[in-house]
Amino acid sequence: MLKNFFCRKYKTIEALKDVSFSIEEGEIVGYIGPNGAGKSTTIKIMSGILTPTSGTCVIDGLVPWQNRKTFVKNIGVVFGQRSQLWWDVPVMDSFELLKDIYKIPTDQFKETLELLNKALNIEDLLGRPLRQLSLGQKMKCELAGSLLHRPKILFLDEPTIGLDAVTKLAVRDFIKFINKEWSTTIILTTHDMNDIEALTNKIILIGKGRILYQGSFENIKDKYSAEKTIEVEFAKDYQKVSLAGYKVVEHNQRFATLKTLPKTQFHTTDFVNQISKKYEVVDFQVSSLSVDEILAKLYNEYEL
Amino acid sequence: MKSYFGIFKMEFKGELQYRAKALAGIATQLFWGLLQVYLYTAFLNSGSVDGFSISQMASYIWLGQAFFALRYVTMPKRVGQEITNGNVCYKFVRPIGIYNQWYAEGIAQKLAATLLRFAPIIIIGFLLPKSIALSLPVSVGAFFLFLLALILGLFMSHSLSMFAVYLTFKTLSEKGSLGIVSSIVNILGGLFIPLPILPQALQEVLRYLPFSYITDLPFRIYIGNVGIIDGLIYIGIGLAWLVAIIAIGKLLIGRALKKTVVQGG
Repeated sequence: MLKNFFCRKYKTIEALKDVSFSIEEGEIVGYIGPNGAGKSTTIKIMSGILTPTSGTCVIDGLVPWQNRKTFVKNIGVVFGQRSQLWWDVPVMDSFELLKDIYKIPTDQFKETLELLNKALNIEDLLGRPLRQLSLGQKMKCELAGSLLHRPKILFLDEPTIGLDAVTKLAVRDFIKFINKEWSTTIILTTHDMNDIEALTNKIILIGKGRILYQGSFENIKDKYSAEKTIEVEFAKDYQKVSLAGYKVVEHNQRFATLKTLPKTQFHTTDFVNQISKKYEVVDFQVSSLSVDEILAKLYNEYEL
Repeated sequence: MKSYFGIFKMEFKGELQYRAKALAGIATQLFWGLLQVYLYTAFLNSGSVDGFSISQMASYIWLGQAFFALRYVTMPKRVGQEITNGNVCYKFVRPIGIYNQWYAEGIAQKLAATLLRFAPIIIIGFLLPKSIALSLPVSVGAFFLFLLALILGLFMSHSLSMFAVYLTFKTLSEKGSLGIVSSIVNILGGLFIPLPILPQALQEVLRYLPFSYITDLPFRIYIGNVGIIDGLIYIGIGLAWLVAIIAIGKLLIGRALKKTVVQGG
């Protein structure tokens, strides 16, 4: 301990390495990976907050950290765990200030605000100080605040974190709506796989600072949804249960849980025929991997 | 420019909400003012200081208490938090200068805090018994020059405070950074001990350092310790200092920002 006081050791860690991708205008891209993978770091580079040690990044013809002031006029950013609005004044005052900061013409500001009011249902919140709002209400206002200047690109860093189910759905609908209405390009990071499923056309999977997969989420889902879990209830106790093409994960007297082996193509009729030849079955239930499980598997596969 | 004015308006409004804070400030300043006036009366009675009579000293002390919020080193509210918790990243994604955003915030807060507090103390200062009261300015010209120098002082005070912001970037400790900057500024700027009672040689040096331009210069103009012509010359020097200090502050903070790593999600 004392030694450390006199002589510090430093270790350089590459937060991002060989991360390279391109995004088309009007896309909604999900940027996923486990905690500490480098998601937020990438967002920070793309929004001009961080200057990378090496590499390039061109967005809409501009390098974010070189032309910061020009660049940020066309982007909106929401960090789910931070707040960009002013704490002790009514939300509307914050919006008015953002209007001044982004030099939004009054007509356009009114029009945008009306649209956002309607889509997010925040009319009643605008007169209240931010500190009095609930988390969900706050997030809605944050979203509205980041879109007042109608950015071409919207960065959302965990926009649904901590929100209840209703608000989550509202936020998702709103993101889709904005993407359609203004063909805003949206890049979001999240740990909620349902966000990804509901919103994105494309995912980028990152881990340990490298890109592991990019492409459609459907592809990944197809690959993993072949694996089925079957819970079976038998009519009587069996000493041992086994079935060709399946692995018995759990067996407890009258109940057993089976999993398909990698090569098995699950087919309900075949399965019923096969198992009823050996055992007397009362009931069974088939389930595929949930989206979260798929992701956990994916992380596992890449040893993240 | 409009955007900075927007920030100014916002912060000004925010600061005006804290009335209880202002009242508490006024009470403290009155108590502290009385203490100091009696202390330095005793001090001046046991000897004499050139060009600093007891009544001038009383005025100097009361002005100091009235404009305490202006001269005291503070960082713009929330800056320390913003830097340590990473919220500063929202400053980056606005299409305006980062130093300038803080500058506008800080000036607004200082001005609002000063305007909320100074009047009661000035009024009470005038109403006190003659021996310890605040006197009128030596002349009308001196009064206007005093106001001019005070505006310079507001900007000087805040520009120096911005170094605390820079140190917070370096050390991530708001209190420590504020401590370093405020002890230098407060001692050399005359917040603790009125500069006119210091040894002549020391005064000569301090006169050309930026710290005395915060409130020492305007107060001296008010009490007639510095004449109109001299006052104008000093204001010129002060302006030159101000430009230099803002430039250095901007450069340092700009460099710190380049190296900023905003940690965590």
